[in-house]
Amino acid sequence: MRSTYPLLGLALAALAAPALPQSATHPDFTGTWERYPPPGETADPRYAPSAIPDPQMKPEHKAEWEAGQAKLKQRLEEGQPAGDNYVHCIPDGMPAMMMGMFPMEVFQRPEQINITQEAFNQTRRIYMNEKLPKWDEVDPSFYGRSVGHWEGDTLVIETVGIKDNVRFRWTPHSDAMKITERMRLLAPDYLQDQITVEDDYLEKPWTYSYTFHRMKGYKLQEYVCEDNREYVDEQGNQHLRIDN
Amino acid sequence: MNFRLCGLALPIAMLAPVPAFAHHSFAMFDNTRSVTLHGKVTAFQWTNPHSYLELDADDGIHYTFEMTSPNMLSRGGWTSRTIKAGDVVTVVEAPLRDGKHGGLLLEVTLPNGHKMEPGVPNVQRYKRTS
Repeated sequence: MRSTYPLLGLALAALAAPALPQSATHPDFTGTWERYPPPGETADPRYAPSAIPDPQMKPEHKAEWEAGQAKLKQRLEEGQPAGDNYVHCIPDGMPAMMMGMFPMEVFQRPEQINITQEAFNQTRRIYMNEKLPKWDEVDPSFYGRSVGHWEGDTLVIETVGIKDNVRFRWTPHSDAMKITERMRLLAPDYLQDQITVEDDYLEKPWTYSYTFHRMKGYKLQEYVCEDNREYVDEQGNQHLRIDN
Repeated sequence: MNFRLCGLALPIAMLAPVPAFAHHSFAMFDNTRSVTLHGKVTAFQWTNPHSYLELDADDGIHYTFEMTSPNMLSRGGWTSRTIKAGDVVTVVEAPLRDGKHGGLLLEVTLPNGHKMEPGVPNVQRYKRTS
């Protein structure tokens, strides 16, 4: 009898134990990541991200998109600012944040996954196994409302509720835009995020992917846009504010 | 802001794989020439979206130099204490095109003679003429 008590105790402890940690049943994306390949380097074809095609706009929205692209192209050729958000110290929002200007950090818990991008301390929160609200049930914001679930080894994230002025590549979108991401490990240190944008403004879904490479031992730094001395004049030209 | 596209009139297709390079303007700094200045630092400001070095130069003029962001500087071996007020340094800058007293810092020589670069992306596209 005496020897059965410890066994019973173990059995009870097992019954009382919380669910297995997420990492035991799903891939663990926790860690710090940077865009792959690094600027100027060629990607290993096994991990190469997709090209980002132009979005296929519906005819009624094509003119606005083309006007934006023409302006963007001209700005780049003139060397003037193209990313208006940044010029005004405003963060990317979704889906632009996933371009990963700087390193990003993933915190993974069974019930919630957070992704923080170093630039502007941007954080998005993905609530696992919750129902995706309708777009008009959430207040429009930079990161919207994201819910996630696992399909095998792939984390599927759905996002709605992105503000009208939060745009990727100057692409207009409706209030009902939905972003679906499929995130998976291509190898232990390579994370792929396949992004699909669906919207009434688009003829067909807009899909592209990024790859991220694991950074070993890197700690994200804070990024508070504290002293923005650059400004754009009425002609659209950028200057440095110098008081002296 | 942090990554600055320095070449002129690159086609958008070339920018596509590295969107991070396209965020900020490069036009306000003259990349066809550089200016070297020597003087005493009045402030080294470790802030986002850019760090700044303030210098009272030997020519009697105060200059403001824009640098990259603290996270980029940090990854390049800088700290907030790499330069301090009172240090006498030599700075190489790409000057502002609008004629104001300042520019983009390309290189600084510290009082101990050590040269530091702030990690300006595509820095090779800034011509050194000074």
